[in-house]
Amino acid sequence: MEPIIRVKKLSLHRGENFSLSIEDLNLYPQQIYALTGANGAGKSTLLKTLALLITPDQGTVSIAAAMGGDLVQLRQQVTLVEQSPYLLNGSVSDNLAFGLKLRGIRGKEQQQRITSTLEMVGLAGLEQRKAKHLSGGEVQRVALARALVLQPQVLLLDEPTANIDSKSLQAFEALLSRLPDYGVTVVLSTHDLTQPARLGAQLIRIENGRLLDNLQRLTKHRNCKPTEKKQWLKPLRVQGL
Amino acid sequence: MGYLSESFLHALELVFAFDREVQSAVWTSLYTSSGAIILSAVIGIPAGVLLGLSRFRGRRLLVTLLNTLMALPTVVVGLVLFGIFSRQGPLGSLGLLFTPLAMVAGQMVLATPIVANYVLAAVKGADERIIDTAMTLGATRFQAGVQLVKEIRFGVMAAVIAGFGRVIGEVGVAMMLGGNIRGSTRTMTTAIALETSKGEFAFGLALGIVLLSVALFVNLFLNLLQQR
Repeated sequence: MEPIIRVKKLSLHRGENFSLSIEDLNLYPQQIYALTGANGAGKSTLLKTLALLITPDQGTVSIAAAMGGDLVQLRQQVTLVEQSPYLLNGSVSDNLAFGLKLRGIRGKEQQQRITSTLEMVGLAGLEQRKAKHLSGGEVQRVALARALVLQPQVLLLDEPTANIDSKSLQAFEALLSRLPDYGVTVVLSTHDLTQPARLGAQLIRIENGRLLDNLQRLTKHRNCKPTEKKQWLKPLRVQGL
Repeated sequence: MGYLSESFLHALELVFAFDREVQSAVWTSLYTSSGAIILSAVIGIPAGVLLGLSRFRGRRLLVTLLNTLMALPTVVVGLVLFGIFSRQGPLGSLGLLFTPLAMVAGQMVLATPIVANYVLAAVKGADERIIDTAMTLGATRFQAGVQLVKEIRFGVMAAVIAGFGRVIGEVGVAMMLGGNIRGSTRTMTTAIALETSKGEFAFGLALGIVLLSVALFVNLFLNLLQQR
């Protein structure tokens, strides 16, 4: 199987104290990867680099050729949800519609996708709620919905469960672990060392900007082929979220 | 005191009688200042966003220059553009001197640094995540910049209000480039200066009242827009 993201000889310096250096990292389609490491280890920087938001000083981050296109088209297939996401001014619906409009998806299809995705993250009926009137947990879920509605090939999540209460955590993890069935590759950073096992995720350990393991040796791919992708619009509703 | 109150009452009479001269000066002021502020916004908003987002050699110098331009004396702008638009000047053949267009050009020069500087300040104060958020959702750098302007629209609106305030109340450019021609380039401010020097204090005061009211209504309108 061809990797969906391939990182080669990447090196990136930020100030005098931080550098990210990754010799070789291949991420395969429809897998879940959990990025663990201490604060400041380079998890967020690596995620931003994978999201093509940071250009490395040296080396390459290549996205599967099948996705094709220029940088913007590639970026449209890889969506990052930050640890404390920024919601755009306007309603929840406006936030979800933003990326859809950029992809030329409007009208009925846009509305359908927004409704089903909000349902998916347990925020059904909140379309018209102003983003600034949402609670911390709701902001996190809207940000996740805003990424999911775009049906990206790769979903990057920076500590997505940091603001989620223990009651919703189980449902949230159930949702994440089902995403590969819908064609999504998930890379999330986490401080919860038991979470990767719960998600069936492969571990990527990072320390001082360097990977601790040779991931290729650890890799055991989930038995999931792109052709087995399920229909997106069928709501991926998880009870309890 | 009697003189002042009598003049004030007379001024009010002129305002409510919709005096033709008053109306003409109000209209000229409004359309030249509006034209100038629209052009200033078209140039100043992108300039402020670009300066706020990009890092290049000489940026600091450019920002200092922009700050200095905010304090440009109106007569200096009037003088320089007078030289450019006068018959012997490089743009003399266009015949713009003493036309409303020349006034619009001068006022645009005055307002653009103000708009750009206010927008620059708003961009610097904006949430750093806006651009990355827009880009990770699939926006190009240009689309992300447009979204940034939408997110900081209060600051952008303040920039436009400040620029409009600067041009609607200025005399130097309007006088030097417009020539204070009755029915054509006479604005509220140039009319106030002229009428008061002729001893028509009440007329000047009437225009002063209108000028303040126009400024009040424009600001009320823009504030309403901000609250939407």
